[in-house]
Amino acid sequence: MGDDLNERIAKAQAELDAQARPSKKSMDGPGMGLGFRMAADFVAAIIVGAVLGWGFDALLHTSPWGLIVCLMVGFITGVWNVVRTAQAANKEAANKANAPDGKS
Amino acid sequence: MLQVATDPMHQFKVVRLFELHVGDWDLSFTNSALFMVLGVLFIVGFFALALARPKTVPGRMQSMAEIWYQFVAGIVKDVNHEDGKPFVPLIFTIFSFIFVANILGMIPFLPGGAFTTTSHVAVTGTLAIFTFLLVIVIGVWRNGFKFLKVFVPSGVPWYILWFVILIEIFSFLSRPLSLGMRLFANMLGGHVALKVFAGFIPQLVIGLGFIGAAMAALLVMPLLVSITALEVLVAFLQAYVFAILACVYLNDALHPGGH
Repeated sequence: MGDDLNERIAKAQAELDAQARPSKKSMDGPGMGLGFRMAADFVAAIIVGAVLGWGFDALLHTSPWGLIVCLMVGFITGVWNVVRTAQAANKEAANKANAPDGKS
Repeated sequence: MLQVATDPMHQFKVVRLFELHVGDWDLSFTNSALFMVLGVLFIVGFFALALARPKTVPGRMQSMAEIWYQFVAGIVKDVNHEDGKPFVPLIFTIFSFIFVANILGMIPFLPGGAFTTTSHVAVTGTLAIFTFLLVIVIGVWRNGFKFLKVFVPSGVPWYILWFVILIEIFSFLSRPLSLGMRLFANMLGGHVALKVFAGFIPQLVIGLGFIGAAMAALLVMPLLVSITALEVLVAFLQAYVFAILACVYLNDALHPGGH
């Protein structure tokens, strides 16, 4: 009898896990979080480029070329980070809008 | 006196509460450490109290604990789906620590002043580097050499692939910086703004007398109240963003090179 109940609990738990969570109503919070993410990702990539370029120059005495090249790559990375985040967010929003039980 | 009262950076000063030196190491207990300990004690105490006598129909405390936990479990489930289950406790710990540390820094009128541990790079940077290293360790442990696929997106023609890989490496390296900097900068910036705006009030009163007091009451105070509310939102949001990004990065470690 106890085994039967445990089995049923395990089965119900598995079903619950497999279910996608119902989509929440749109809030400003996650949108604002997305904004924070984009801003920080953009700046962080440029700083990483600057630091890598500077370190490269300091080690190999190629100043200023390492800094110039890495800063540019860092900038491209920053833009790419933002574009990718925005694309993912757009896709998610479109999916939500197209879903039959979509709220918005 | 006025200078000290309105100095916006004063609140971030790390003060040694008692000295402790082990060899060359300075292990003094600071106010930053105190507020981290308080935060951890609060989390442990709250959950111990709330879940001391769990009931099928939860009371108020138990409800709060369950909502808190299910919120984080929901984030992990949304991002990592089934595979994320082993990481729920980890993400829950990270989220709770950041959230409570942020909120503790918002409490006014504490004797000695509230201290926001998350407004220091030493704390946020450690959390970010920990997350970054964890992703690498889990990625290599679960996928071995295949983890390097995280740098090679699928479906890119070979002639620009080398450049995309370069960008992906930069992007990967910028993660800990982005994680740590965002949390630290938001907490620091928000608290400085709060203090600067609050500093307008004594300055207006001293400078303009009665008119200044009227302006402070009508203009500055409502602004201050709304910024405080915004800061509470930001305190929650930064913990949320940190948790979500930790999940996203873990997803990369579990499934390198595609979803």
